[in-house]
Amino acid sequence: MATEVLVPPLGATVDTMTLVKWYKEVGETVTQGAALFALETDKATLDVEAPASGVLRQIMAQPGDAVKALTPIAVIAAPDEVLAPSTPAAKPAAVAEPGVAAPPGPSPSPSQAARPAGGRVFISPRARRLAEQYAVPLEALSPSGPESAIVERDVRAYLAAQPTPAITPVARRMAEEAGLDWRQLTGSGPAGRIVQEDVSRAIEAMQPAPPVLSPVNEAIQTIPLRGVRGVIAERMARSNATTARVTLTAEADATALVALRQQLTQDGVTVSYNDLFLYILGRALREHPQLNASLEGDTIQVWRRIHIGLAVDTDRGLLVPVVRDADSKGLLQLARETQTLVERARSGQCSPAELSGGTFTLTNLGMLGVDAFTPVINLPECAILGVGRIKVKPVMVGERVVGRHMVWLSLSFDHRLVDGGPAARFLQRVTQLTERPHLLLA
Amino acid sequence: MAIKTIVEALREAIAEEMRRDPRVICIGEDIGVEGGWGGAFTVTLGLAEEFGHERVLDTPIAELGLAGVAVGAAIGGLRPIADVQYGDFLFLCMDMLANQAAKMRYMSGGTLTVPLVMRAPVGSTRRGAQHAQSLEAFFTHIPGLKVLAPSTAYDAKGLLKSAVRDDNPVIIFEHKVLYGSKGPRAVEGAISAAGEVPDEEYLVPIGKGVIRRPGRDVTIVGKLLTVYRAMAAAERLAQEGIEAEVIDPRTLVPLDKELILESVRKTGRLVVVEEDNLTGGWAGDIAAMVAEEAFFYLDAPIKRVSAPDVPAPFAPVMEQFYVPSEERVIEAVKWVMGQK
Repeated sequence: MATEVLVPPLGATVDTMTLVKWYKEVGETVTQGAALFALETDKATLDVEAPASGVLRQIMAQPGDAVKALTPIAVIAAPDEVLAPSTPAAKPAAVAEPGVAAPPGPSPSPSQAARPAGGRVFISPRARRLAEQYAVPLEALSPSGPESAIVERDVRAYLAAQPTPAITPVARRMAEEAGLDWRQLTGSGPAGRIVQEDVSRAIEAMQPAPPVLSPVNEAIQTIPLRGVRGVIAERMARSNATTARVTLTAEADATALVALRQQLTQDGVTVSYNDLFLYILGRALREHPQLNASLEGDTIQVWRRIHIGLAVDTDRGLLVPVVRDADSKGLLQLARETQTLVERARSGQCSPAELSGGTFTLTNLGMLGVDAFTPVINLPECAILGVGRIKVKPVMVGERVVGRHMVWLSLSFDHRLVDGGPAARFLQRVTQLTERPHLLLA
Repeated sequence: MAIKTIVEALREAIAEEMRRDPRVICIGEDIGVEGGWGGAFTVTLGLAEEFGHERVLDTPIAELGLAGVAVGAAIGGLRPIADVQYGDFLFLCMDMLANQAAKMRYMSGGTLTVPLVMRAPVGSTRRGAQHAQSLEAFFTHIPGLKVLAPSTAYDAKGLLKSAVRDDNPVIIFEHKVLYGSKGPRAVEGAISAAGEVPDEEYLVPIGKGVIRRPGRDVTIVGKLLTVYRAMAAAERLAQEGIEAEVIDPRTLVPLDKELILESVRKTGRLVVVEEDNLTGGWAGDIAAMVAEEAFFYLDAPIKRVSAPDVPAPFAPVMEQFYVPSEERVIEAVKWVMGQK
């Protein structure tokens, strides 16, 4: 196989050398290790040994020519070996003298000419990292590592060869502390010196840019805060700002309640869960009157009658029609009344009287997949019960895990009117009645 | 403080541990016979006189048997220090070490422990291919074993004492050339690994390597004999302006990875020198670990300097080619430095 003889790199600073003489002529036999040609650097004249044994088949430079390190200068091959026409040996390696017409086509840059033939140059991971850090163009580097790879010292040599701009000591310290490569800066001081301001500008530029703010948004609808919306806004804000709201949550096993409703439906009594909870709340509130109260000025009014508001989601917003005397009505009656009230609320036909006078509120987001929440108290009432979705979950019953219909109950109450103990006992009773609806008969 | 050879340091470590803990026993071939050498390389010489033949147990030439007895004794509550005359004979003990000792603690969910120490001389010393191998890589490959390779008298004593106190099976490889054995068991071409050994008690922690020589240009990792080859090469390279950092991991499992990685991050070049055969050796594993964990710090391909993939030759002249020499280390360093 043919061996290409390269001009050796003689030190980091020497790039171009002069070919002094050939010790062998084309066609002569050469022996590996024997002197093949002499090179003159700016310091000395050196003999270069043949890298392989064979016949000197081609030479690409004549004595007196300037030659570049790592360019092919000769080919050694077996006497009868056919040299591939594509062998880079065909390319002239000598550096064109000034005045000599350049060959047609794009002339190679000097750095490209310095690269070994074959096209591909390897670079060590470490050198690549360093080159990227200082944005060193790889084609500007002269490889000197194992297997003619670019190594760290080649990148460092390149960096060292770059003219170093002048910098004031204080600016330099500032740059180094900030991890800034000040060699890349342009100085604005006297005689192009890099001064403190240049460094601080560059450091500022290093800071990550502030996130781009999107242009001012455009409203697709403008809703005046009045009417139902205005009332809701005012009451919710006032409730949130003035009540000492505490929310207690409890998970109840509603399996029996679900079964009860199915039974009723089968027997022709169609009721919703809201109706069942209104029924439960009526009974529980009767036993826990402190929760059936309102704050009127400086006094707490504990009400005899139990009027439960039912939060209804309508197109116009949240409306709370009130079911009067919920504790004294049968299920069927409650069902009929709530159906009418909900329909009237949704069609905007509720009278102000139907929307006021409540002493407690029931709100149910279970149909929307909500588990538990912290309802806002409907002023001036004392408390509100939020009902979550009824969901079958694995539950320990005795020693076994069984699927049960579970529901979260969220009781928000105003701690100004009632303490945690009574509120918790009330919730406990609601939970008990939910789990054991037969107790409603007791 | 006194200057001691590795053999003396090991003997002292065993005696101290046997005095400290009555559960520590020695078991091996010709380790306590009267008029014998005290094992193949004199490590156990004189121990039978102090501790009696009940605790310095001589076995028939039956390595599988002695290893099995030692593993059983360890499971049963003793802390045996077992001994094969040549590391090469560990192949005979392989089931006991690889299938039993290494796996018992794991398979029993920690109920059983195997506090066994297995001592094994390695290295090529003109005794032929069956008495010359460097077997470390066989054992670093087996999870459940700790593998030690002390290259100095100080480390030999401190590591052996740590091994005796460890609840896991520990294989400790000792290099024949470094032993400092005397009299009829002296090794030709021996290198002195003797050094100062404190009179007071000390331990060398398992899993901690040391930098034997700091340097900025290239990291050379060696073990046992090749630490000395690396040091000699580093001295000569320094005369040419190449500063090599020589690392002696001392413990192969668990390996002080960070010490090696830290060094390579600094130097950017790695040469691993070992006396084992090239293919499937420990050097390849170190090279792979560095390539995986410090690739972007490497400034040159990693070089391994190992024995060639042939059995260790008997002829002294051929052995010189087999065991990595100082010259081969220098050549490898120059290559990674881009000087060749």
